[in-house]
Amino acid sequence: MVNALTTATTERAAPRTRSAGPAIDGRARARRRQAVVAYLFLAPTLLFFAVFLILPLGFALLLSMSRWSGFDLGGIQPVGTDNFRGLFADGSTFLAPILTNTLLFALGTLVLSLAGSVVVATCIDNLRFQGLWRTLYFLPIVTTVVAVGNVWKYMYEPGGLVNGVLNALGLGSVAFLQDPDTALPSVVVVQAWASVGSAILVLTAGLKSIPESYYEAAALDGAGPVTVFWKITLPLLRPSLLLVCVTQLISGLQSFALIIVMTKGGPGDATNVAALEMYRQAFSYGHWGPASAAAFVLFVVVLLITLVQLWIFRRKGEDA
Amino acid sequence: MTPAPRTSGLSRRHFALALPSTLLVSGCAAPHQGTGRPGDPIVLTLLSHYASGVLKEALQGPVDEWNAGHDRVKVQTKAVEFTDLLTTFMVRQAAGQGADILHPYCLWNGQLVQAGVLRPAPREYAEEIARGYSEAAVDSASVDGRIYGYPTEVQTYALYYNKRLLREAGIDGPPRTWRELEETAHRTARRDRYGNTLVQGFGLSTADDSTTVGQTLALLNAAGGRFVSEDGRSTAIDSPAGRAVFELEHRLVTRGASAPGVNVYKAFRSGQVAMVVSAGWWTGSLKALMGKDYRDVGVAPLPLPETDGKRATLSTGFMLGVNTASKNPRAAWEFLRWLNTEKVNVRGTTKGVKATRMSSLQVSAGSLTGRADDMRTLLGAHSDANLRPFLDALAYSVPEPNVPGAQQAKSLLRKNIEALWTGQQSVDQALRTTRRQVDREVSRSW
Repeated sequence: MVNALTTATTERAAPRTRSAGPAIDGRARARRRQAVVAYLFLAPTLLFFAVFLILPLGFALLLSMSRWSGFDLGGIQPVGTDNFRGLFADGSTFLAPILTNTLLFALGTLVLSLAGSVVVATCIDNLRFQGLWRTLYFLPIVTTVVAVGNVWKYMYEPGGLVNGVLNALGLGSVAFLQDPDTALPSVVVVQAWASVGSAILVLTAGLKSIPESYYEAAALDGAGPVTVFWKITLPLLRPSLLLVCVTQLISGLQSFALIIVMTKGGPGDATNVAALEMYRQAFSYGHWGPASAAAFVLFVVVLLITLVQLWIFRRKGEDA
Repeated sequence: MTPAPRTSGLSRRHFALALPSTLLVSGCAAPHQGTGRPGDPIVLTLLSHYASGVLKEALQGPVDEWNAGHDRVKVQTKAVEFTDLLTTFMVRQAAGQGADILHPYCLWNGQLVQAGVLRPAPREYAEEIARGYSEAAVDSASVDGRIYGYPTEVQTYALYYNKRLLREAGIDGPPRTWRELEETAHRTARRDRYGNTLVQGFGLSTADDSTTVGQTLALLNAAGGRFVSEDGRSTAIDSPAGRAVFELEHRLVTRGASAPGVNVYKAFRSGQVAMVVSAGWWTGSLKALMGKDYRDVGVAPLPLPETDGKRATLSTGFMLGVNTASKNPRAAWEFLRWLNTEKVNVRGTTKGVKATRMSSLQVSAGSLTGRADDMRTLLGAHSDANLRPFLDALAYSVPEPNVPGAQQAKSLLRKNIEALWTGQQSVDQALRTTRRQVDREVSRSW
């Protein structure tokens, strides 16, 4: 077994023993200078991350264990784990329905957008004018959430387009956003519709990277389109699917803009999600402590779910 | 390899230094408050919800007049929609960009004072406010007995009704009791064969916390109840009066006289709502938006559970106060005194009719001023009969509590009202849950 530390030390020490000392020293100095320059170039980015990521993260952690109504730093009162216990206390709505809604919203969005994007991307891959189709499906991404939310809200209204179609088919109207049983699924559909474009973009790129030889071999073996899809396309799309799954689920778990536009979390708490609740606690009620505690709980949930996804995909990858 | 010759232009090093510096400076820039040079004008910012329509124009008038007549202190208005006002105060304050003059809904005063946003009125201004305004208005602008600003408007709640829809249903006048209210609501309500609401008998709003809760609290006060206990540390809604209100609303929804899914504020002006409880400010926007159809709008005092009951309704308010972060508080108070205290001739009236600029702008926009004396003067001059019931209600209205957790209490009440309307909770559950949630969440901060 080679001792890496000894080897490294020997390598580092070796130049000093050689006769061409000044030349080697010059190179080392140049390397050090390069390293300093590299750090100098990195410094703005590191400073940016320190100021806008590490510092707020530390401050949020401090706030999650404090009571603070905002603005005056002298008014921060430490309360230990009270804020976290409050989130899970008897009668608190954070776990149910808020966190439950968050998970349902994210999972529902993921399932719908993933299924839709796989189907659409596969279709696009077999069509002419692929750029045009990709652009069309990407349009909801460049539209603001407020516009998307308001348009769909009007479409869902009792006298709106969707109910108009139902009525034309002889069916009764549905109170999509007013009925607690249909409100969350209705918003999930909109979120999935709005996020399908980016998934299609990733998946079509993934489809392009699958070598044509696999399909030619499958055709020679007489495989049908369904077999080709299940046995070749889907397995080889796995890296793209992983990316889509992770990013869509994270954005689903953090999402609140569409909900605030379409339902404001109602009726009751039927569509209330963690990010919306945090926003309200901090900016409407001035309860920065509970809001920060909720943010950390959501952070842990996102982290765990992402790790599980990575683990599942890696395992599948190894099996394959 | 030879190094590139130095040029006289911007080097990479300069660029690398200049870019973050520019970003830092622009990001940390405070709102424009004047140059700060001796002799240059101070610019005060005023943040309100008078963002559109008649109110925006009405506020801009006196501000322009002030700016034309004052060289040293200028005022700049900024406005956001009412539903974004509280979060805008909080976010801008957190970013160090709070406006000099704030125009908060009095419900938030406790919270804003607790967060150190509002500056108490200096003694001479506080005395002036206490002298010039009604007790309800002064109370709404006060926290723990200390006055924080000039009350700009006091809103009371009454029943708006569509005379045409009532007439078509064979009903002579507005209801006076809850039994009559239900009967009228059922007789005027209409739906098509697909279940779409054509006319709501009694409009129940889900527009925002204020409108949803305002209706329920007005009816609660009319039934002799109150939302918050005397000491402000718990809710008093789980009471016979609270149960009566929740049962009334539940019956109206389940029996089809109300359809909370419909935007009642749009539907009423297009003749699709027969009755709705709302505040006085609405007359101004209805008049502007309905045109000649406004003649169908009538306003009546809130119906009572029994004919011989004691009249009561809800009153809410707004005020103009000065930010603790303002660098020019003296100038800000000076402007507020000019706007709210100095009496001037009212435009478009006969000579001798005088009121404050704020009172004039409120009444011109179809709203109620916080100054009772101006209200009487101006209502005589601009006689919209629909404003009279709101003015009368000032005598018996119950002010909305403005303790520190008031906004959160209101949001929790709204959620439970909606859960009741949509069948997620029974009347009992809704009352119990409201009591438990409101007591638990707000007792710690009140």
